[in-house]
Formats: sequence, structure tokens, C-alpha cells
Amino acid sequence: MKIIETIKQMNVTFNARLNNRQAQRMKKLIVGQHVSDGMLMKLVIYFLLAIIAFLYLQPLLYMLSTMVKSSGDLIDPVVQWIPQKLHFQNLSDAWRGLKYPDAFKNTMMIALICSIFQVASCAITGYALARLEFPGKTIAFILIIVSFLVPPQLTVIPLYSIYSSLGVLNTPLVFIIPAIFGQGLRGALFIIIFRQFFLTQPKALEEAAKIDGASVYRLFFKIMLPLARPAIIVVFLFSFVWYWNMYYEPSMFLNQAYQPLSIRLNLLEQELMGNKLINFAVAVGKDPLTEGPKMAGAFLIIFPPLLIYLLTQRWFTEGIERSGMVE
Amino acid sequence: MSLHKENVKSKRRSGQLRYRWNNYKSGYLFMLPWVLGFSIFVAFPVGWSLFNSFHNVKLRGGKFQYEFIGLDNFRRILTEDNVYPVELLLYFQEMLLIIPLILFFSLVVSLLLNQKFAGRGPIRAIFFLPVIFATGQVLMELFGQGAGELPFIEQYNLDGIIREYVGPQLADPIMGVLGKAVIILWYSGVQILIFIAGYQTIPRSVYEAIRIDGATPWESFWKITLPSMIPFIGLNAVFTIVDLFTFPMNPVMEQVRKNMFDVKTGYGYASAQAWLYFTLILLLLGIALWITYRSTVKRGGYR
Repeated sequence: MKIIETIKQMNVTFNARLNNRQAQRMKKLIVGQHVSDGMLMKLVIYFLLAIIAFLYLQPLLYMLSTMVKSSGDLIDPVVQWIPQKLHFQNLSDAWRGLKYPDAFKNTMMIALICSIFQVASCAITGYALARLEFPGKTIAFILIIVSFLVPPQLTVIPLYSIYSSLGVLNTPLVFIIPAIFGQGLRGALFIIIFRQFFLTQPKALEEAAKIDGASVYRLFFKIMLPLARPAIIVVFLFSFVWYWNMYYEPSMFLNQAYQPLSIRLNLLEQELMGNKLINFAVAVGKDPLTEGPKMAGAFLIIFPPLLIYLLTQRWFTEGIERSGMVE
Repeated sequence: MSLHKENVKSKRRSGQLRYRWNNYKSGYLFMLPWVLGFSIFVAFPVGWSLFNSFHNVKLRGGKFQYEFIGLDNFRRILTEDNVYPVELLLYFQEMLLIIPLILFFSLVVSLLLNQKFAGRGPIRAIFFLPVIFATGQVLMELFGQGAGELPFIEQYNLDGIIREYVGPQLADPIMGVLGKAVIILWYSGVQILIFIAGYQTIPRSVYEAIRIDGATPWESFWKITLPSMIPFIGLNAVFTIVDLFTFPMNPVMEQVRKNMFDVKTGYGYASAQAWLYFTLILLLLGIALWITYRSTVKRGGYR
């Protein structure tokens, strides 16, 4: 009797398990084993990402569509996204208003030179912090973090008098000199990135080179720096873009003799329209007529970094994963 | 015999010292540019502005004139100024709402981007776009034109709906945050990057092991992914705080700037304002770091 009972029970559990397995197969198809395997999850991911991506792209699309609108299209409330016909007058207006070739040269000069120097100085400092031994290292690291936090307004007037006594005011040297000494725009962040990168590199490599008789300098320039390519790409791109976009510092330290694009954009409206329309714009709050040229100007400004980003994008995203930017 | 021993000992010691100094030498040499730059472009200006904040600074004939007034600048900020403390409080209140939202949003988006799916590369490229534009004048221009507003707020009359359901008391902050939603979006670029880089530090084998033990993806998120992310959440909190508070266009900074060039208040007063602000930021950062530290220690050991 007892045996039959147990067999019956086993049968029941077996059936239940069978059903369970079928259900599980269904579940695996829909929900998946990993989070991303199932169809349901995939759909949800695509849906969410599509919405967020649209929100990100929307201002850019707005810029592109407004840029090619004629003044008639700009005023017409019926025309929202797609202009009636492409109107490239705005672009040439903006080109003239920004004094594009000149301002482009200025901006490029600052961004390129500063970011190259910044990569070099931050790599050296980051390496020292990661691999070299010396008393006072912890204090230096804390000071680097603190220097990252200082609000720019706190130091702007002392810096102004330092630069003016150095005689570099209103020249690009205002940005190049701090970059050489590792104090450029957000230099502290880059030092931290390099430090983290060098910390993740295997120590055996350096030991081998040391046993072979390489000096620290040789070791750094011949072995560690070439290895740091992912980190260098990340830092260079960040640095270049941030120098390209900066507004506050040039508005303080550079005068009319050396205007970068970001400053010119602010002046664009006045340049283009004269005073009469400005008054109108002030009364209304925003002037629909200047929107087209302004958006064209904005496009002209972001186009070069966008191009660089699109070209380096693959190494950039890879570099971020591989550089061990954070550990 | 013993003299010889001593001799060897002292020789060894001096050799050790020389060896150490040789090691240190290269370290100091590598640090030299940064140390120079730091003392000229950070330490000296910061020290000077601290000095200024205790003085009444006047510019006469191209030269600064200092008059020591102690803590009077700070007293005036807190008791007589009727704009700055209000702006300061409002801004901190707003930031305390926005910072957790940025962290949450970037965590969710980075989780989604970390999954494997077709077309991941191009989609990631879109999400890293803010890294390029978020700092720029261009973005300010776009926001100024209203291009940055969330389209569905007006479309679905969200304002009215929220007001009806939660009452005006709660609706104002909610609408404030929704109006700032674009800032949340555009200021989470670097944070998303940091989180994605963070996921790569969790070994795949841990996920395989927990799956064999029968954990669902949901459980593995809570038991593995999130705890491993705590240091990165802390890092991101620090970065977000720094990013938002040193942003030159923020209203507090605007006040500081205005007072800097005002004849009545002058640079000393503006320095005191900036220092008050700086101290509060440091306090906030301290709290963020402390929370991170505590929650990692509880898990046993700082990574």
C-alpha cells in the first residue's frame, strides 16, 4: 500500500515538473535567461531607448530644421518642423556674423594646443600618482581633488591680475600656460582618469623593463604612454570639446582681439539685425526672425566637434570601457 | 670586528637612503609641472580670495586697497543682503532634488545601454552626445529658444493634471523638476559613461554563478549589480555636484559676479559670497562621500 502511495505521489510531482518545464520554456522565450534575452525585455529596452534618444536628438533636429527656414517659414505658425523650401541664406548670414574663418582659427588654436598640452601634463602627473613613490603623494592627490571643486568665480580676479602681470592677457596663452602645468579646464579630472588607467596596468611589465635597465623616464615614454592610448583618446576628446565650448573664461580673459566662436555667437544677434529689431525682440521676449541665423550659427559651431566625435566615436566608446576610467 | 659591522651597517643605510632618494627624485620630477601650476594658478588665487573675503577691497588708480574688517562681509551677507541668501537656498533646494534624479536616470539608461541588442553602437553614440554639447553656449542658445522643453508637458496639459491630483503645494516642485527635465537629460552624459565603465569591472563569471544557483535577473540586479555600483554612484554624485555647482550660469554665481563689479559691495564682499558657497559645496560633497563610504564598509571592505 505504502509503495503504491509513494509511486502515485512521485507521478504527481513528475507531472507537475513536466508542466513546469513547459512553462519555463515559454518563460525563457519571453522573459529570457539574461535580462536581455527575452523578446519582451528587448521590446521594452528598444521602446525606452527610442523615447530617450528622441529627447536627446530633439534640440538638434530643431536646430537643423530652423536653420534652413526662411523668415516667412519662421513666422508662419503652420510650419513646425519641415520648412516649405530649403533656405540657405541663414547659413551665409551666420558665417559672416560669426566672422567664421577668423573665430574658427582662434577657437581651434586654443582647443587643439591646450588639449595636447593637457594630455601630456595630466598623463605625467597621473603616472606619478599611480606608480611612483614619494612622500606627500596622498596630500597631492587630495589637493588635486580640491582644485577640481573650486568654483571659477572664486579665483577669476586673482587670475586676471596674475595673467596681466605675466603679460598674457587677451592672448591664447591665457589658456595654454595653465594647460602646460596641468591646471587647464578640468585638468584634475583628467589626472584622475590617467591615474586610474595606470593603476590598472599590470606591474610585471614595468618590473621587467626595470630589470632590463630602463630608466623611469624611458619606461614612461616608451612603454606606459603608448599603452595608454585608450585613456589618451578619451582625455583628448573631452578636453578638446570642453575647450571648444567654454564661454565663461574667454569672456573674462579675452577681449575683442581674440574672440572664440562661443563669444561670437552671443554677439551674433546684434551684428546681424541692428538695433531696431533688438528693441522689438526685447519687447516680445524672443524674436522669431533672428532664430534662423542663430540656429545656423549654433550649427556652424558644433559641426567641427560633432565631426571629430563621429570619427573617433568608436575608439571613444571602446576606450571608455577599456581604459578602466574608474575602478 | 664590531667596527667593521657598524661600517657595513651605515654604508647599507646610506645606500638605502640614496636608493630611496633616487626613487623619490623621479616622482618629484614628474610632479613638478603640476606643483608649479597648482601653486600659481590655484593655491595663490584661492588664498588671495580668502584674504579678500576678510577685507574691504577697493580699486583706486589701478591698485587694490585693503581694509581689514574681519567677518563683517559674512555678517552682511547673512543679515543685510536680501537676494543672495534666498538665491542660495533656492538653488540648493533645487539641486538636492535634481542630483538624485540625475543619478537615477543615468543608472537606468546605462543599465539599458549595457544590455546586448542589435544596433547598440549607434544608440550609444546618441547617448554620449551630451558629453559634447552640454557645456556649450550652443545648448544655452537652444534652451533659450525653447527647443529643450519636453514636448509632452504642453501637449497633454500635464500641468493641469498634476495640479488637480496632488494639490498646488506639491505640484510646484514637481513641475519645477519636470521643467528641468532637460537639464537632467543633458547633464547625465558623463555619468552614463562612468556607469557603463563601471559595469565592465564586474566579472561575467559572477553572473553565471548566480544564475546556476537559480537567481532571476531581477535578483541578480539587486544582489550583484547594484552593490557593485555603489562606489560608482558615489563617484557620480561627486561629479554631478561639482558639475552643477561650478556651472558658471547658475543664479548664485550670477550674484557673485554682479557683486564683484558693483562699486557698493566690491570684490571683498563677492569673495566672501563665493567662499560661503564653496564651503556649502564642500559640506555637501563630504556628506555624499560619507554615505558612499558607509554603505561600502557595511558590505565589507572598500573596493
